[in-house]
Amino acid sequence: MNGLLQLSLIEPISNALQGFHENAAGANSLLLLLSIISPLVFALALAITPRLSPWAARVVTLIGFIIPALAAIWLTLSYLAIGAGGGYAFILRFPMGLEFLGIEFFIGLNGISLPLFLMAGLVGIAAGLYAVQSDVSNAKLYYILLLVMQGGLMGVFASVDIFFFYFFHEFALIPTFIMIALWGRSGRKTVAIELTVYLTLGAMITLAGLIALYVFSGAEAFNMIAMRNALVEAPMQGTIFGLLLIGFGILVSLFPFHSWAPRGYATAPAPAAMLHAGVLKKFGLYGLIQLAYPLLPVGAASWGGLLLWLALGNIIIIGLVTIAQRDLKLMLGNASVMHMGYAFLGLYAYSVIGVGGALLMMFAHGLSVALLFMLADGIERRCGTLDMEEMGGLGKKAPVLMAFFVAATMASIGLPGFANFWGELSIFIALFQSASPWALVPALLGILISAIYGLRAVAAIFFGKSEKEWECGDLTFKEKFPAIILLAALLVVGFWPRSVSDSVNEAVKQSFSQMNEMHPETRELVRN
Amino acid sequence: MDTVANLLFLILLTPLVSAGLIWLLGRQRGALASVISVAAAAVICLAVLHLLFRTWDGEGFAVSMQWLQLGSFELSLGFYLDLVSGIMLLVVGCVGFLIHLFSFGYMKDDAAKARFFGGLSIFMFSMLGIVVAENLFMIFIFWELVGFSSYMLIGHYIAQDDARSAAKKAFIVNRVGDFGFLLGIILVYSTFGTASLPELSALAAAQPEILTTALGLLLFCGVLGKSAQMPLHVWLPDAMAGPTPVSALIHAATMVAAGVFFLGRTVFLFTPEALEVVTWVGVVTALCAAIWAFAQSDIKKILAYSTLSQLGFMVAAFGLGTLWGMTQSSEYALFYGVGASMFHLTTHAFFKALLFLGSGSVIHACHHEQDIFKMGGLFRKMPITGFTFLIGVIAIAGIPFVAAGFFSKDAILFVAKSQNQAAFIILAITAFLTATYMGRLFFITFLGKPRSESAEHAHETSWIMWLPLVVLAVFSVLGGHAFAYPPVLQELIQNWVPHPQGADHTLLIIISLIASVAGLAIAFFFYGTGSYGDRLQKVAPPLFAISRSRFYFDEVYNAYVSKVQQRLADITAFLDTLFIGGLCVRGLAGVAGLGGMVARSLQTGSLHAYVWWFFIGLVLFWAFGAGLFLTF
Repeated sequence: MNGLLQLSLIEPISNALQGFHENAAGANSLLLLLSIISPLVFALALAITPRLSPWAARVVTLIGFIIPALAAIWLTLSYLAIGAGGGYAFILRFPMGLEFLGIEFFIGLNGISLPLFLMAGLVGIAAGLYAVQSDVSNAKLYYILLLVMQGGLMGVFASVDIFFFYFFHEFALIPTFIMIALWGRSGRKTVAIELTVYLTLGAMITLAGLIALYVFSGAEAFNMIAMRNALVEAPMQGTIFGLLLIGFGILVSLFPFHSWAPRGYATAPAPAAMLHAGVLKKFGLYGLIQLAYPLLPVGAASWGGLLLWLALGNIIIIGLVTIAQRDLKLMLGNASVMHMGYAFLGLYAYSVIGVGGALLMMFAHGLSVALLFMLADGIERRCGTLDMEEMGGLGKKAPVLMAFFVAATMASIGLPGFANFWGELSIFIALFQSASPWALVPALLGILISAIYGLRAVAAIFFGKSEKEWECGDLTFKEKFPAIILLAALLVVGFWPRSVSDSVNEAVKQSFSQMNEMHPETRELVRN
Repeated sequence: MDTVANLLFLILLTPLVSAGLIWLLGRQRGALASVISVAAAAVICLAVLHLLFRTWDGEGFAVSMQWLQLGSFELSLGFYLDLVSGIMLLVVGCVGFLIHLFSFGYMKDDAAKARFFGGLSIFMFSMLGIVVAENLFMIFIFWELVGFSSYMLIGHYIAQDDARSAAKKAFIVNRVGDFGFLLGIILVYSTFGTASLPELSALAAAQPEILTTALGLLLFCGVLGKSAQMPLHVWLPDAMAGPTPVSALIHAATMVAAGVFFLGRTVFLFTPEALEVVTWVGVVTALCAAIWAFAQSDIKKILAYSTLSQLGFMVAAFGLGTLWGMTQSSEYALFYGVGASMFHLTTHAFFKALLFLGSGSVIHACHHEQDIFKMGGLFRKMPITGFTFLIGVIAIAGIPFVAAGFFSKDAILFVAKSQNQAAFIILAITAFLTATYMGRLFFITFLGKPRSESAEHAHETSWIMWLPLVVLAVFSVLGGHAFAYPPVLQELIQNWVPHPQGADHTLLIIISLIASVAGLAIAFFFYGTGSYGDRLQKVAPPLFAISRSRFYFDEVYNAYVSKVQQRLADITAFLDTLFIGGLCVRGLAGVAGLGGMVARSLQTGSLHAYVWWFFIGLVLFWAFGAGLFLTF
């Protein structure tokens, strides 16, 4: 087995060594590669080992999640240490024989992808830690699918090449479908099918948009760096942006393309929901920020009016839908759809504050929603139900669970001290400085709506007296561990936002100034 | 001046460290948690005193560093110390420490002591953050955090239904206020290009024409929520479901006064029209809350309505004083409103904390009985509590020259008389009503004979609980005089607070005397000392019913929530499921039958089949990567 592992690793490594001249920080580039490959390799190892004790399977799985997490933390620190500004670092590229299509294996991180890469690593380790303590049938397959998902997630945000960016997304997406179909709650088959059809459609529209972007820009290569230097003629911009907005929008549950999300998350097993709602969903927004907006300013401007209304739809309409939910996981799923509206508003504002705020929001939302889905699963296991009206009084029996849940709820409704607040605040300011300052009023209604459903849930689950006698304890040490990782990250960035925001700021500023150079006519559109 | 910054840093960081330590070490050890929290409060108190008596020279002091930058938006983390924040530090530091000390005794047997004391420390951190904040965004940040700690502490008794709904209500009503508040802050930032208080003050003075009334009113929304002014006052009486020390610290002395403090910090952002609105909101709140206090029988609820009413006084004082100051020529005239409201805030913090802790002492002694008609005769059983409570009553009633409340209320009535006759008359009537309902509370609770088993067996509480009462009683007497304050703050008490002269002086003393003494006397003769039931209810049911109704604010809001908001949410959810989820998407997923077969084949597959599929996929991937496909 070892031989096979080595064999499959040799070629990329030798290729990587050839690509060393690209930059000096070669070791970190290899680490970046390792963070993508290791979950996949461990998944493979699990798959081809015929008999493995459950204990060994868990250890192998955990290692597959720990490596990317540590790599992500290390790379974030290195990125900040080398003072890369917002530009690309840790670049690694080697040809795959597809150069005539402009495709090569090309990875690296810039200030925009870095926070999301870090978030993917952190949510991954939390999901992994939670997964290995779940009691599921066919645990081995469960672990394999999650590891494949994790590999895809790390790859999405590390890819500079757009083909691989898309490819890794599919890599992470498909295990989600399978996991819902196999381990989901009741109604899993319908939900799995709906999700598959819907998201595949979104992905296909996205792919069409990406290809159109490549073709019409006449860029030298199909990667994010080369594309930035390309120019799409104004008449085509609207069409391509529309394809990307709808394609990516479906994947991010932009209103009215959202209905897959709440049901999907409510049905999926918790680790899959954590990875999908937390990380994978950000793919669409990330694509819009990294590609669509910098390349298609004219197209973005022409779709701006519609986007504003759709984003407000996410906040107000889905906000109201969230209030009406009785099922805890459906409520969280809807809330997560609602919060995507804020990120879209940040994009709509189309300024460094707005786009930067959207990135901070995506980072924070990934952590907080993963924490909430994990805790909701813990609550379900304790109460035997997800119907909030049947719960109550859990706070007396599980004070630590309550503390974590309250903290996560507060984070998600934008309480200062948690990372989410900075995203929301920046987006609000950006929105007020945008072309439609009035939109701040309905957008701010969202902070009321989220307080209503968030506190209602806390009150319904934890306060009051318990009517039933549950034989359940508080969070166990093993459950606390992933929760602490996520909460700590939320608090660190909440108290010291510059740990994330500085590189975001630099990168977004660069992408805007580069765009202004390419499209002088857009200078009026963008405020810095 | 470096040490000022260091001391402020110490003051702000101590409670945060305390909360962190309690979370890390004290979750299972309640006693340790309480010691950490009380020690932190002591450190804060000493640091504040050191700062005010020894270190700070009274000049405005500002320092800041960058906290977040995105594009042109810069948010800084900084301190700004001036007279307004100086006196607020004094209040929060001293009263905060005394209430921590009291809690040490009061919460001794509580099951969730660590959560309580951790919450108190988070509260101290958030509150001090508001006080020292250098810019509006920072104020907003800590503003939200006090809201959160208030939420946690109101909901301390998590098993009780009233605590559950009160905590939720407090947070949500405050968010309604914050909706306008944040809008106002963003508007200020966009108008002036900065949110820093010292910079804003200079800019507003240089270009008064860019100020708008809407801006002031939006900022005032935050005050409506936090300082519980009408129509957002409904959360404060319910908040009494929290432990009594919390009511004293958060819902009487400090947090609810944060709104008034905020007005004092941003006085330069208010136009005369905005101040007119501020004034009337304050006046109406003061009067209505005083009326509602008459129908209450829960000792804490009576005090809660009195807090509402006194906050109304402060808000009105800010509006009236600033308006009046605009017509005056003295160099301090612009600060008359700030001076009058902050002075009353300070004396109120002392005597209201005293009254709440006194009520806590009574409740503790009566085994958590809160109905005043089941008490009685406690003066003899609890002489220290009774006597200090009497001082609190005298202070809030405003008997001339005896206690602090007189001096600060005198200043408010003076600016009211000088600025707006109608407001003056209403506030004078309110002062009379205040004396009356406080007299009702005192006589029924402390005089006469015990009217229940628990009052029969009441006895004085331990020294750790009565010591804070005594200290606060001393403050409540001396707090009206400038000499009792640190020298740097005396300018505020002496020059910023407008004091009546000559004929006005005599007239106001007479009015105060009549209002306070007559109010107490009427309460004594009307309610008597041994009443088992409310006499007003028997003598004049309609009047009692008016007071009891609280003008139906809660009923209207509850009807809105259940009939409008919830129905709107339900209908939206239904339409979302039906149209977007059902027709559009399911229709599209009519292809589902096809997918179903795929899913079924997946379901029946064995582990090895999946593995092989993956394996084949991987091989294809590598083949693809290695360029094998290109040979075709």
